Amino acid sequence: MLEAAGSYFDGTSAAKHKVQVRLDEEKGTLTFDGESLRTAEHWRLEDLRLLADQPGGGWLTFTRNIDGEDETLSHEARLSVRDGVMNARLREAAPLLHKRDLHQGVALRVLKWVSGAVAAVALMLFVILPAMADTLARLMPLEREQQFGRAVVKQITWFLTQSTEADITCTNEAGLAALDKMTARLTAKMDMAYELNIQVFDQPMVNAFAAPGGQIVLMRGLIDEADSAEAVAGVLAHEIGHVEHRDSTRNALRAAGSAGLVSMVLGDFSGGALAVVLAEQMLETSYTRQAEGAADDYALEALGKAEVSGSGFASFFEYLLKLQGDMPDLPVYFLSHPPSQARADKAHAFADAQAATTPVLSEADWAALQAVCD
Amino acid sequence: MSTSNDIQGQYRGTRGELFHLAIVTTMLTIITLGIYRFWAKTRIRKYIWSSVSGDGDAFEYTGTGLEKFLGFLVAIVVLAIYLGIIQMVLFFFGLSFVAEPTTPAEMVMMVSVLYINLLAILPLVFYAVYRARRYKMARTRWRGVRFGMEQGAWGYALRASGYTILMIVSLGLMAPLANFKLEKYMMDRSWYGDAQFEQHGKWTALYGAMKHIFIGAIILVVIAGIGGALQIEGVMIAGVFVGYIWLMVGGLYYRVHAMRYFAANRTLGEHISFTAEPRTGEVLKLVVIGGLIIGAITFAILMVGGLAITGVVSSLADSQNFGAMAFISVIVAVLYLVLLALIGALTLVFITQPLISHFVTTYTVHGKDALAEISQRAGEVGVDAEGFADALDVGGAF
Repeated sequence: MLEAAGSYFDGTSAAKHKVQVRLDEEKGTLTFDGESLRTAEHWRLEDLRLLADQPGGGWLTFTRNIDGEDETLSHEARLSVRDGVMNARLREAAPLLHKRDLHQGVALRVLKWVSGAVAAVALMLFVILPAMADTLARLMPLEREQQFGRAVVKQITWFLTQSTEADITCTNEAGLAALDKMTARLTAKMDMAYELNIQVFDQPMVNAFAAPGGQIVLMRGLIDEADSAEAVAGVLAHEIGHVEHRDSTRNALRAAGSAGLVSMVLGDFSGGALAVVLAEQMLETSYTRQAEGAADDYALEALGKAEVSGSGFASFFEYLLKLQGDMPDLPVYFLSHPPSQARADKAHAFADAQAATTPVLSEADWAALQAVCD
Repeated sequence: MSTSNDIQGQYRGTRGELFHLAIVTTMLTIITLGIYRFWAKTRIRKYIWSSVSGDGDAFEYTGTGLEKFLGFLVAIVVLAIYLGIIQMVLFFFGLSFVAEPTTPAEMVMMVSVLYINLLAILPLVFYAVYRARRYKMARTRWRGVRFGMEQGAWGYALRASGYTILMIVSLGLMAPLANFKLEKYMMDRSWYGDAQFEQHGKWTALYGAMKHIFIGAIILVVIAGIGGALQIEGVMIAGVFVGYIWLMVGGLYYRVHAMRYFAANRTLGEHISFTAEPRTGEVLKLVVIGGLIIGAITFAILMVGGLAITGVVSSLADSQNFGAMAFISVIVAVLYLVLLALIGALTLVFITQPLISHFVTTYTVHGKDALAEISQRAGEVGVDAEGFADALDVGGAF
């Protein structure tokens, strides 16, 4: 029978009992007694548990499993054994040394709370915050929205040029006049809530965006790549749709509410920041899809009323779809405006059903617009 | 001054074991998209707690990852609603200021809107701090007997918010009052078994520990000020440099000596008292050496890894092999996560653990005979397992 010295704490007081521990493998018991202990203790080996994640050297602390309401499901008593031979023997002789005991019904509780938390977060992210963002976007005074929009455009300029001084707007007067003509044609029969402020940035990327308060920016690359004035008109009408629907204001409000939430759920584990960005991006896309569809509808309505052919818009989608094949050189436009065959088909169907159309710009005006950044 | 009736703190954790544990748990955290982090923290705590011992008897951490996870879920439900709405409304009202600050007054407005955002969370953070400490106390045992802490998180949040405002308004001069009162608030509610802790002493006594902060501030203001006024750049830079360093070390000195004062004026029951003798120089040495080791290892890995990746990428760049390029970016992203995990583990091993070891081994408990009279206290099942602290990211690596 193996014997070793140990310390025993009975779980009712902080007094230490020096004990002599005996391991009886045949009976499957661990017995120990000491001067300060009134009666000897007998622990069954299958009840013996080793406290998790202890340092390996020196002594080990054991406890005894019981069916109780204690937070650990173990008896409050502890036994520390400092004898290496005994500890090594116990590791082999005690069958359930590393078993993690769980309260009954734990799985159900976990399930309940996981689904509760998921439901609460989903409700916030997909119902309450978007609804609030919608209301607040409507409540926002026009002047404040315009101010915010100008700040956004300024930030994007800064981001593109890495300089606060740079001015990258294109200023060719004939080109801007042509752009004005196009805008006037598109908005003449639409009910406009916003005064538009449309600029062209001298940037090679194929992109366009709408900022809050009527700010629209077209990038030079978009005009360069467009095969007709109608394609530019389609994109412009689409962006006007975003403006009229207050999409970017709503998006900014929603992002303000959900950013903290998302980072809270994902926590600060290593690389957490990366995950937060990705999650926020995915969330964004799911809202965007809806907003994009609505802006497309608006664009087609505007093109229809202005009697401008929708086939240019459709061909632009096909241009983007073709680019999608050549992965690496992805235009930025693709990220915020995911093209799809469905959207292209819709524009095609619309174009086919259109009655008489007239060119949106004269040959000369289209040439001027193409030279707006020269 | 050590007598047979004293207990000197001991620490027996090793670098190898802790590093292994930290790496394994962080990897599991990454693989599970962060869900394992509750179990990871718990396991690190179990290791560190059981490495701390007094009189040859180890501490024990009885918390579980599962209850932390559940506590976090509870907190999420509450915070999802609170944070989402608060942040959006503040953003809405903040927009008019944030948009285009053109005058200094508008800049001030913009900054204050950002801080109001923080202030909305601050009481919750203090609430979470108290709850976290209470949870840790309730899940700590020594000689089989539980520690514990009474409820009082809202009282703490209220006081801590007030003292924080006072501290800001007084430019830090009232820090001793805030530190002392808050420490006393927590300590007076703490128990070991059926024996209660009590914090004695006076808050004004902490001003002695602040002396180096004052010296640093004086150097910063006076010397740099003189240099600036006389337009002597060398004097100004030297003043800022020396003053800043002095201020930093002075802050450390304050915290170390506040620890000493708190321990010296702390009692447990009627017969047990404490002495803590951490040294500023030792703490500084541990942090600096640990930082240098971590920096050197990280730098070496970045150099080797960077060279290897650059080599592979440049050999692929001409081949237009986009599949391989995508594969490489995934590898780089994974390596980035692994590097972050490694830095976290190294910090734990080379800074956190040595510091804990220093604080524990310089801590003495007087009157150990009285410990035999202390009886067990009932366990607490209903604690929220610091879910709020986890959700708000309060507290460090473990």
